[in-house]
Amino acid sequence: MNDVSDTAVLLSLRDVHVHFNTPNGVVRAVSGVSLDLAVGETLGLVGESGCGKSTLGKAIMKLVPIAGGEIRIEGADIAPLDRKQLIDMRRKVQMIFQDPYGSLNPRSTVGRSVAQPLALAGWKPAAMAERVETLLRWVGLPSDAKQRYPHEFSGGQRQRIGIARALALSPRLIICDEPVSALDVSVRAQVINLLEDLKGQFGVSYLFISHDLSVVEHIADRVAVMYLGMLVETGGRDQIWRSPQHPYTKALLAAAPIANPRIARTRQRTVLQGELPSPLDPPAGCPFHSRCPIAQARCQAEKPVLRPVGGGALAACHFV
Amino acid sequence: MVLPLEVRGLSTTLFTRRGEMKAVDGLSLSVGAGETVALVGESGCGKSLSALSVMRLLPDPPARIVGGEVRLNGRDIVPLPEEGMLAIRGKEIGMIFQDPMSSLNPVATVEKQIVEVLLAHTDLGRWQARARAHELLELVGMPDAARRLDEYPHRLSGGMCQRVVIAMAIACSPSVLIADEPTTALDVTVQAQVLALLKKLQADAGMAMVFITHDLGVVAETADRVVVMYAGRKVEEATVDDLFEMPLHPYTAGLIGATPVPGAARAERLADIPGMVPPLNALPQGCAFAPRCPRVMERCRQERPELTRPSEGRLVACFAAERG
Amino acid sequence: MHRFEFPRFEFVGRFARNRGALIGAVLILVVALMALLAPLFFPVDPLRIVGQPELWPGEDPDFPLGTDSLGRDMLSMIVHGARATLLIGLFASAVATLIGVSVGAIAGYFGGWIDEIAMRAAELFQTIPNLIFVLTIVVILGSTLTNIVIAIGIVSWTPIARMTRAEFLSLRDREFVQACRAMGMGDLKIIAAEILPNALPPVIVLSSLVVAGAILFESAVSFLGLGDPNVASWGRLVGDGRLLIRSSWYICAIPGVAIMITVLCLNLIGDGLNDALNPKLRDR
Repeated sequence: MNDVSDTAVLLSLRDVHVHFNTPNGVVRAVSGVSLDLAVGETLGLVGESGCGKSTLGKAIMKLVPIAGGEIRIEGADIAPLDRKQLIDMRRKVQMIFQDPYGSLNPRSTVGRSVAQPLALAGWKPAAMAERVETLLRWVGLPSDAKQRYPHEFSGGQRQRIGIARALALSPRLIICDEPVSALDVSVRAQVINLLEDLKGQFGVSYLFISHDLSVVEHIADRVAVMYLGMLVETGGRDQIWRSPQHPYTKALLAAAPIANPRIARTRQRTVLQGELPSPLDPPAGCPFHSRCPIAQARCQAEKPVLRPVGGGALAACHFV
Repeated sequence: MVLPLEVRGLSTTLFTRRGEMKAVDGLSLSVGAGETVALVGESGCGKSLSALSVMRLLPDPPARIVGGEVRLNGRDIVPLPEEGMLAIRGKEIGMIFQDPMSSLNPVATVEKQIVEVLLAHTDLGRWQARARAHELLELVGMPDAARRLDEYPHRLSGGMCQRVVIAMAIACSPSVLIADEPTTALDVTVQAQVLALLKKLQADAGMAMVFITHDLGVVAETADRVVVMYAGRKVEEATVDDLFEMPLHPYTAGLIGATPVPGAARAERLADIPGMVPPLNALPQGCAFAPRCPRVMERCRQERPELTRPSEGRLVACFAAERG
Repeated sequence: MHRFEFPRFEFVGRFARNRGALIGAVLILVVALMALLAPLFFPVDPLRIVGQPELWPGEDPDFPLGTDSLGRDMLSMIVHGARATLLIGLFASAVATLIGVSVGAIAGYFGGWIDEIAMRAAELFQTIPNLIFVLTIVVILGSTLTNIVIAIGIVSWTPIARMTRAEFLSLRDREFVQACRAMGMGDLKIIAAEILPNALPPVIVLSSLVVAGAILFESAVSFLGLGDPNVASWGRLVGDGRLLIRSSWYICAIPGVAIMITVLCLNLIGDGLNDALNPKLRDR
């Protein structure tokens, strides 16, 4: 289902499934997700824990195997790629991670960590050194950082180092897996501003995975909402915030705190009840029906399909 | 009128090999019955240590209260010996922490843990305590409460664990509840449930609540008054409306500016605060925020601003704010 | 905040803070020097008979530590024995570490059936009584130094393997490893260049303790007369003196004390290494 017309499609997912075998059964972390990401676009992928958004990001990077479906980057299916082609693909897509304290090798200098993609791609030492200087400058870190070790830097600075590393080979797409969740408020803003600046400067696209709706609302062009491994709604950012269609999207937006006491006090909202079902035993039919305020008999029997619901949005619900 | 909680000039110092650090420096705050005061700040500002100081739960070494008073229902609990504190904690003042999974004993059932609190502080018998535990679980909105009593914590979700923790904290109807980032580790929808629950419990019991968080959205939703901390000191205090409408301290303004609000003008950069929080053992001379402050003046680098009262109910420690 | 430019200085500082470790390190250094300089100070072959047999320490100023049952100089034998003992300890530990780290790393990183096989193998080696196994190998293959070293290495690798495996299991899922995989780095490179340097600190501590264990093994083997006959290790000295233990007990005691002190110092060093390398203390 292509809801992005004319512009070139950078990333294309078709009916992607990811399963994990655990001692307690099969966990369907991602069930049948299809979406497109256009060149130069920032797609926000939101959802709560267990919805599969991080797993999807890892599947795109081939860090976890897919059990079904297709992932295409610039039109090329990444599943059958051999080692050499994979390295080439990985030049185009890179990833930055959530934990600033775990995403850098504590025993490698910053310079070495940032230069790793370059070393793997076979760059010569002189060229590498120059590139590392440039990268550090782009992310606002001093040049002498390259001799220092990660533990000498703050969380926000470590995230910048991670971003520098991701930028090393000029990727077209960067998958950001909760890049600011572990940072303080003021530092978060620094990193978000940096990501936006880099986008403006280099035209890089982002798949921005986060559970923090206010951050996604700020940075994304389009948004995709996931619940228990499935996509429940996609659409333009303004569209989703102004008129969310799917009951879960509405609940998510209603639950997110807003940093404005007057709005917070006066807004009408119903708090979503119930608990997230276990991913080992997802509900039949629509995954959300056990908590949905408008659920009916059909919802338990039949799984809804993503379909257009006006305004360029797609939602998976029988009753919108 | 005696307030449930009154902290005056609380100072806690960390005695480490690298030197002494004033983790909490002269903090004063007061909370009335049924009121929620949010204690806001980023990591290292001293808010969690303040809470632990009030509860007298500091790890000693390296931390120790070196000054100030903490008046719980009028009585100063700082000089109390540990036996005295044991009688108070859980009974007159309760605390809930950030990670619900690690707040519960993994090898005891839910019932056992709640009953433990009741047996320690009330004269209920064992069977009465069990019945009361069931009541409390229903009170905190635990689905299928009867069955949950016999479960072990690892079988419960984060939200459910936090409900158990809340049940334990309010079991003896304390006059003060301290919540240290209680929803930071929870999903958004669960967070909304827990915040609604806390508000309801507070309204029913007239409990005073100190809510520690770094999330301004949560502050806007739950607080009546807000205290902002930086590098161990209070830098601003106001009602929640006043604070968001017109923050006086540049750090507060920076925090609010750095928090994205839905619907804000498009393509607007978030106001970020350059630099980092200074380490506590290397605080600059003068105002601790001066190196990062957009409104810094020469005076700020020499002298440390004290708290002033620009209007009723507002406090701020800033020379630039004084000038208006 | 950045007092030390290189982690090495930090490491030495932390190690030195542990008084016991410092003493241990100094004493081991003395023993090592003894081993190195033995030919310088005692050029004569220690196994040559140079004096009256069974002279007590202090009886004859030429032989400060006395002589043994055949009239050989105790001091000379102790000093030369240091070399043999330390070498055996180090090499045996090296063998054990090599086997243990390889098995543990592969088991921990790949998991699955590889892990299963490796762990069953480790259990097998653990359940066999160590000393008996060593003796069996030595008896079958012959009492040469090489065989003894290999035998000791074979019984000592399992704790190192387990430790390495545990470290790899925890490090494998850390985000910097995922980042390397996301970059397309090969498994072998990740294991050797990324994870191993982080996994080594606790393994190093364990290896230092294995040295101590190896020395004790060798002493036991030599005591029972199965040691290399051309090597005068401390264990051998203790063994040689066992028939005279009632009368001239110093012949057993002196090398015995030397063994004890060396093993103790190695344990202290292990403690100190633990303090110095322990990442949890890093951020304090």
